[in-house]
Amino acid sequence: MSATMEHRDGIAAFAETARQAVASCAAKPVRDRASQLAGDGLLGILAPESAGGLDLGLDFAVPVMEAAGAGLLGFPLAETLLLGAAFGATPFGPAIVLGERVATIAWAGRVRTASGRVSGTVGRAPLADQADLLLVATETGAVLVARDAPGVTLQPAIGLDLEAPEHEVVLDAVAPLATLDAARFATLREDALLLRAAEIGGSAQRCLALALEHVSTREQFGRTLVSFQALRHALARQKLAVEHIGAALERHAALAASGAGEARHAARTAYAAATRFGIAAIESALQLHGGMGFTWEVDVHRHLRRARTAEAQGDAAGLHRRLAQDLLTANA
Amino acid sequence: MDQDQAFLPPGLAGEEYRAHVRAWLAAHVPAGFLADQADHQAPDLDACRAWEAAMHRGGLAGITWPQAYGGHGLTLREHLIANQEIGRLALPESVNSLGKELAGPIILAIGSEEQKRRYLPPLLEMREIWCQGFSEPNAGSDLAGLRTRATRDGSVWRVNGRKIWTSGAPNAQRCLLLARTGPIEDRHRGLALFAMRMDAPGVTVRPLRQMDGREHFAEVFIDDVVIEADDALGAPDQGWSAAVRVLAIERATNRMYRAWRFENELHHLVRACRLDATLAALIESGTYHRRLAETVVDIDIIKAYVEPVVERLMAGESIGDRGSLMKLHWSEAHQRFAALALELLEQAPPGAAPEVQAARARFQRLYLAARAETIYAGTTEIQLGIIGDRILGLPRERARGGR
Ligand SMILES: Cc1cc2nc3c(=O)[nH]c(=O)nc-3n(C[C@H](O)[C@H](O)[C@H](O)COP(=O)(O)OP(=O)(O)OC[C@H]3O[C@@H](n4cnc5c(N)ncnc54)[C@H](O)[C@@H]3O)c2cc1C
Repeated sequence: MSATMEHRDGIAAFAETARQAVASCAAKPVRDRASQLAGDGLLGILAPESAGGLDLGLDFAVPVMEAAGAGLLGFPLAETLLLGAAFGATPFGPAIVLGERVATIAWAGRVRTASGRVSGTVGRAPLADQADLLLVATETGAVLVARDAPGVTLQPAIGLDLEAPEHEVVLDAVAPLATLDAARFATLREDALLLRAAEIGGSAQRCLALALEHVSTREQFGRTLVSFQALRHALARQKLAVEHIGAALERHAALAASGAGEARHAARTAYAAATRFGIAAIESALQLHGGMGFTWEVDVHRHLRRARTAEAQGDAAGLHRRLAQDLLTANA
Repeated sequence: MDQDQAFLPPGLAGEEYRAHVRAWLAAHVPAGFLADQADHQAPDLDACRAWEAAMHRGGLAGITWPQAYGGHGLTLREHLIANQEIGRLALPESVNSLGKELAGPIILAIGSEEQKRRYLPPLLEMREIWCQGFSEPNAGSDLAGLRTRATRDGSVWRVNGRKIWTSGAPNAQRCLLLARTGPIEDRHRGLALFAMRMDAPGVTVRPLRQMDGREHFAEVFIDDVVIEADDALGAPDQGWSAAVRVLAIERATNRMYRAWRFENELHHLVRACRLDATLAALIESGTYHRRLAETVVDIDIIKAYVEPVVERLMAGESIGDRGSLMKLHWSEAHQRFAALALELLEQAPPGAAPEVQAARARFQRLYLAARAETIYAGTTEIQLGIIGDRILGLPRERARGGR
């Protein structure tokens, strides 16, 4: 067997494990989801072996994030994968990888540091109310704090996501547990873009499957809806979106495997593409459900809420501005 | 403002009427009602009822209906004026718009004199809220495929069937019900409209949860419900033509304030962004100029459809299929805007001012709610079909060898 084929089989095995793990998480409280996912070896994909991890590349995390997206996993999975890796050399790494501590990241805002303590308001921290550990940005990188440390106050969430509701967190002279330097924090943010692209891709795939099933079984005007060309084209566009995202993710994997510097850029464009095409596909899948799509019971709105949240957490709008700026700079 | 101002002075029309509406609204809008203000608290059903009843007394509802039925006997021009002024304020959506804008006009068109006197005053006084029972589990876009059956039983009708997506059904006292009196093969023929009482034995309402979290629409089960003959609207085979009129109203004139409310939303978005340094820099930078400007244009196009409708209707013309042009445009334009508002406000930094957070919450809800706008009142795909088939008059593909 060639190295690439082994690699592919390895990734496919992760995909299958992840699908099953995500499905069995559904009925469990968040903490038990951590143990389930850890038990299935999914939380340490990116973490070093010394922390109980597998020390694999991002492309192994991609199918896991796709499964998390498709299965609406209510767990800060991207955050856990990234923090397990970033803090692998500290005692927090193994605790995160083993699912003993739930960790999340405040993706928006940053705190100020004064006499070694941090203060300020941060936001977009998924499931902060369930977490033990929280990473917050500082002027010089990021720090890990305990959620129940003195000076940490959670605000009620007002975001769209129902699976992993986002919180704002106010920190008042909180003592950090560990730090991450600017370069490593920047890498973590870049890696997060790719994981989010995979998650949105998983959601888009799932919504396409739901829409396809709906219009294939429902009849109006004495015909199955899927026989109407307008709907076939809408489904074809949804498929196109899913393929765009898949192709961009694979391109990133290939570039990363060959150590190409362009991999970073490819992660950004994969995420940008996922937010643009993936969200349009989910909205279209909702439309194809008719009135049914507007109900709480059909999961499409949950995917839409999540994807819109992933769009905000990765600051897709700001990323597009930076991509344009890079283009201008290159031609200055 | 003295007590007399609560009522519509007789003989007002045109700009005088507008001045009255403005003054009335300035004096009467209850605290916390406006969704673009810092003190906003979504009012409950009772508060909405009381408010809408007051609006009617003040001459802001039932504007064109004859005075004999509780209306104000003015013209559609005043109706448009009231809608413009109401739309400018972020007031709660009417809880009886199906009554005031669909059931009422239909009753006026095909109801008997006795029915007009019986249904219309309680509707305007908000003692009777109406819902619209058209769609069924197997009859959505294909409305003519509906199966709810009404059979004559001596002097009454007996109705059996099931309706779905019935907005406001949990709060309604009456349902504008479309049911079949002939065989299902008859499709458009043999349909009749009824004013069904929602408290009649055999009517069961099961609220459905919407994706925006509200339980506003519902499933309505109709088991052997007796409807008195005098609650049948029009002739037993007049249902389809009446339903088509309802749909034309729904697409073209229902919620005539839409463009002005949309404008209020746009202004609210911009004001909220200006309150926050990060967002202010974003909208000043030019990045969003094009999309904001396109929203301004989109709103003017809605106005360009609505305003002439008034003159055409007053000249006795019907709107017909042209309602599809406007419906398609506003629903898509509003979705584009909702996505823009979401994109902008979600860039607000953590710890943003309460007004900014409140706007964020408003536009998150709007984004979700707007997803329904390309579904109800005829989906986008159906509107495109109507424009192609009936407005453009595209030839139908003929089977080869056919005649
Ligand atoms: C928020 C909300 C409120 C509503 N309130 C009411 C109410 O108060 N009273 C009431 O009676 N109804 C109400 N409706 C129902 C609404 O009118 C129907 O949902 C709508 O007509 C679509 O029907 P459907 O849901 O059965 O979807 P379907 O007709 O099953 O459509 C599913 C998909 O197939 C597409 N499709 C269907 N036919 C064709 C075709 N020929 N060509 C191409 N594409 C096609 C549709 O565009 C849609 O994308 C409401 C709906 C919503 C979402």
